[in-house]
Amino acid sequence: MAEPAQGALKTSHDGRWRWRPQWTARMALIPAMTITIVCFYGFIIWTFVISLTRSRLLPVYKFTGFDQYVRLFANERWWTAMQNIAIHGFLFIGGCIVFGYLLAILIDRGVKAEGMFRTVFMLPLSMSFIVTGVIWQWVMNPGLGLQDAVRELGWTTFEFNWIVRQDRSIYTLAIAGIWQQVGLCMALFLAGLRNVDPNIWKASRVDGIPVWRVYLHVITPMMRTVFFTVFILMSAIVMKAYDLVVALTGGGPGFSSDLPAKFVVDHILNRQELGLGAAGAFVLLCTVIAVISPYIHFELRKARDGGGH
Amino acid sequence: MKKFPKVAALATFLSAGVSVGALHAQTAEVLHWWTSGSEQAALGEIRAAFEAQGGKWVDTPIAGGGNARAAAVNRMLGGDPATVFQFSIGQQLRELADQGLLADVNAVADEENWDEKLPPLIVQAAKYDGDYIAAPINIHGENWMFYNTEALEKAGIEVPKSWPEFIDAAKKLEDADIVPIGLGGQPWQERILFNSVLLGVGGREFYAQLYSTLDDELLASDTMLKVFETFAALKPFVDEASPGRNWNEATNMVIRGDAAFQFMGDWAKGEIIAAGVEPGTTVGCAFAPAVDTAYIMTVDAFAFSAMDSDEARAAQQKMAQVMLEPDVQIAFNKKKGSIPALLDVSGDSFDACAQKAMAALQDKKTHLVSTGLFGVPSAVSGAIDDSISNFWNSADMSPQQGQEEFRQAISYAK
Repeated sequence: MAEPAQGALKTSHDGRWRWRPQWTARMALIPAMTITIVCFYGFIIWTFVISLTRSRLLPVYKFTGFDQYVRLFANERWWTAMQNIAIHGFLFIGGCIVFGYLLAILIDRGVKAEGMFRTVFMLPLSMSFIVTGVIWQWVMNPGLGLQDAVRELGWTTFEFNWIVRQDRSIYTLAIAGIWQQVGLCMALFLAGLRNVDPNIWKASRVDGIPVWRVYLHVITPMMRTVFFTVFILMSAIVMKAYDLVVALTGGGPGFSSDLPAKFVVDHILNRQELGLGAAGAFVLLCTVIAVISPYIHFELRKARDGGGH
Repeated sequence: MKKFPKVAALATFLSAGVSVGALHAQTAEVLHWWTSGSEQAALGEIRAAFEAQGGKWVDTPIAGGGNARAAAVNRMLGGDPATVFQFSIGQQLRELADQGLLADVNAVADEENWDEKLPPLIVQAAKYDGDYIAAPINIHGENWMFYNTEALEKAGIEVPKSWPEFIDAAKKLEDADIVPIGLGGQPWQERILFNSVLLGVGGREFYAQLYSTLDDELLASDTMLKVFETFAALKPFVDEASPGRNWNEATNMVIRGDAAFQFMGDWAKGEIIAAGVEPGTTVGCAFAPAVDTAYIMTVDAFAFSAMDSDEARAAQQKMAQVMLEPDVQIAFNKKKGSIPALLDVSGDSFDACAQKAMAALQDKKTHLVSTGLFGVPSAVSGAIDDSISNFWNSADMSPQQGQEEFRQAISYAK
């Protein structure tokens, strides 16, 4: 520890130069580090630089200050997209956690044919978001999906037309998203539940505590890190949600179910608004950092401080 | 002396190599997004003609217009451009020309007198700084109204000539349990409907002025309000499942008679023909109701990358010349469902709808173009799509609000 780390090479006892193992490890990390720095931080900076220009189809380095941000914030579609990601994020993450946890608990209680249930719930995960989107687009299409089927059975006033309603279409994203991701959450929670010390269950049975209370007050707090993992995983999916909205609603009707990622891609690739798209991407990044980082910081510090407990 | 045969052989070999090189002189790599059956068949006509004249065609199809355009631009920036590439005429192409990435085809254009033979508005759009930066190879029309004649008979209505007539007719269709408008609820399709209303209510001069100037006063005018009122009045005539529907599904609704009308470009004819119906018979075509006759043109075009090699330049010129040969124009456009870009090509062998369009275009006053060809930047046309789509799908926006949002969207995007 107190050793000064001056160089890669050092004279050893027998007077010969030798590699220090930690330097070998550092060397091995260089390619990965370079890629991270260039492709990640480098491109973030580049995106920011472009967002300060009036670039349209091609990058043009004529700087116009924060003009693109002014235009972005005056854009109604952008605000709809931002509002949508908040709604979608809340419903999708919340839904995945609640349903995933409930399913995990049900399976953990020892259902018969556990393997089959696990597979059934995990199966949607093997599909891409595009496929998920198309399936749910058919199911929710009022002309040929669920609504039509129920009406044909005789319940002619049945309505399930969220996907074509401007005020509801954003909720359909959460439905399809949860359907796809709930299996993964369930598996993670299940793994957590299986790690719970059986003695806790024995103790609670001796004390006569109802099962639901054990889950609520004992097990759930112990599952903290699993919740954290699921939250981070699902947040990442929300932030980059693009394919689902393209396949499911195309951002419509109008732009009522638009998401920031789609806004950015549309403007950069289809509308030759490179500058505006870059501004959108950068604002999205800042929003993500602002929302997620306090939580990560809090959790990580807690984990470090409260180590073994 | 003994060496001579070897030298001769070498010389023969070399000259053979040179002549192979000369054959390669007319090689053109063509990057395009025409991957569907009818598009492939249409492009095949150009390819056949080009190859018949000694050219070698290297096909690079990329599905999806956006992907293909991005690929064309990326390859240009990367220094390995495609010889000839499909692109939309408009602001983006001008930006490429501005960066010196394009070659012109003035030589062919002068020789073939494109200035006189192409519609003036298209000449204007295809030129940058006086140079032809693209070869416009056809004309599609955007203000078509396709209708199912049986559905109209069943409801006892005639083909409407004005928008108030259309609204009356639509009510009768509803009573007869037929969806009046088969609409695919995607922003670009909603814009086609909107533009038909704009043209029909405001007239061709208003349309041309509005999109060529994007003038604030016109956007705030009473005529514009009337356009939005008429557009709003059409909302109830669309079925519930419309949002997100593809255009060809909507065309099939009209072919089957589930819906009576569809407002769509003439590429819908491809779908009608594919269903075994001759356009102009049980599925009829007419210009969308309007106060005066006009044709909103949009073109498919190919552009040419700036390239150093003379061989590539020669291939580009040859391609431009072949694309606008009258015979190729007829063969290509019949398969594509469009009409020839050259106004003097005979239309005898075309279907009834195409002939109607070609007849209309003989009067230059009917010439209008879609927003992009007016030089409206894609940012603005995107904002226009957004605001139209938002208005069309909103249950509680008044025409005044729609007009105001449309005006604002344009001013922000400009």
